Amino acid sequence: MGMWISRLMSAFGEREARILVLGLDNAGKTTILYRLQVGEVVSTIPTIGFNVETVTYKNIKFQVWDLGGQTSIRPYWRCYFPNTQAVIYVVDSSDVDRIGTAKTEFHAILKEDELKDALLLVFANKQDLPGALDDAAVAEGLDLHNIKNRQWSIFKTSAMKGEGLFEGLEWLSNNLKR
Amino acid sequence: MFSLLYGLWEYIFRKVEFRILILGVDKSGKTTLLERIKTIYTEAEGLSPDKILPTVGLNIGRVEACNAKLVFWDLGGQAGLRSIWEKYYAEAHAILYVVDASEESRFEEAKQAFHRAISSQDLDEAPVVVIANKQDHTQVAELAVVEKALGTQKANRPTRPCRTQKVSATNGDGVEDAVSWLVDAMKRSRRTHLLAQQIQ
Repeated sequence: MGMWISRLMSAFGEREARILVLGLDNAGKTTILYRLQVGEVVSTIPTIGFNVETVTYKNIKFQVWDLGGQTSIRPYWRCYFPNTQAVIYVVDSSDVDRIGTAKTEFHAILKEDELKDALLLVFANKQDLPGALDDAAVAEGLDLHNIKNRQWSIFKTSAMKGEGLFEGLEWLSNNLKR
Repeated sequence: MFSLLYGLWEYIFRKVEFRILILGVDKSGKTTLLERIKTIYTEAEGLSPDKILPTVGLNIGRVEACNAKLVFWDLGGQAGLRSIWEKYYAEAHAILYVVDASEESRFEEAKQAFHRAISSQDLDEAPVVVIANKQDHTQVAELAVVEKALGTQKANRPTRPCRTQKVSATNGDGVEDAVSWLVDAMKRSRRTHLLAQQIQ
């Protein structure tokens, strides 16, 4: 009965989802957030703290939290973990030197109990830059294949060109628990 | 006495979780099959086929069927992503290999990916069901044609049973036959015992 009501609600009303955007500094998290929200490239400065915006896509209101990625403020990410339905992990695909660090941070997130039910979406960002790793290479670099008990997906994105971002949201909207 | 032994056998196997890899080239219908399996064996309705995007990553389905707990791993099938498959081999109990039976031009590619997968040491003795999918289409190859094109006979050995099954993932025909055969094969497979020993 309850399921029917919630199904009916979701058919007519809007659903809401809380999404965290995480990743190393300079991965492009803030640019992605505003590209999704206003559809333009805005000039950004390194985020200290967070930006939060609501993006509506296909009847789902995504409350998107973009958290600063610098080493010193990464420990504060966990304050935002409760009630999160999905994590978008943004990687600078052209930053080959730091893919190892990106991997370590990502696997630390995976171990968090409060995020154990969250969907995992990886954006292999900055595909417009020369020398950017493709999706398979980023997947390999992050050891995504070690994830065996939960759903994940990776998309090639370019926040500058606006490519791949909505494909990612499409995947989220289809896979968020109904 | 028999029922006692049977009960014991059931007890031992009830706890086993079988992990099944769904492989195949892109556009063969792996995710549609997974969602159909979810619809058949769980309360939840799986995604409808028109909502399914090409998989770039891993989809998971957990169901209980034929007295066993099954975990399905559905991996993306695009050429660039097939390198990820092998990372999942060592822990999988069995394979569902999906072929689009209406797309003869891709049989050769499907065959190569198939044999590369099953010849891997990490998949030793894993039972295989080759799914001749999309039987709901008007022009589909006969089962014998699919078997020949994929070379399933070469794959079939006493230690590694391999069977071909006609399936339509969109309407569900043949899915239950494939799953129940596979569960049965996994219960009898030596690989299941070897994997269980590894965990201990």
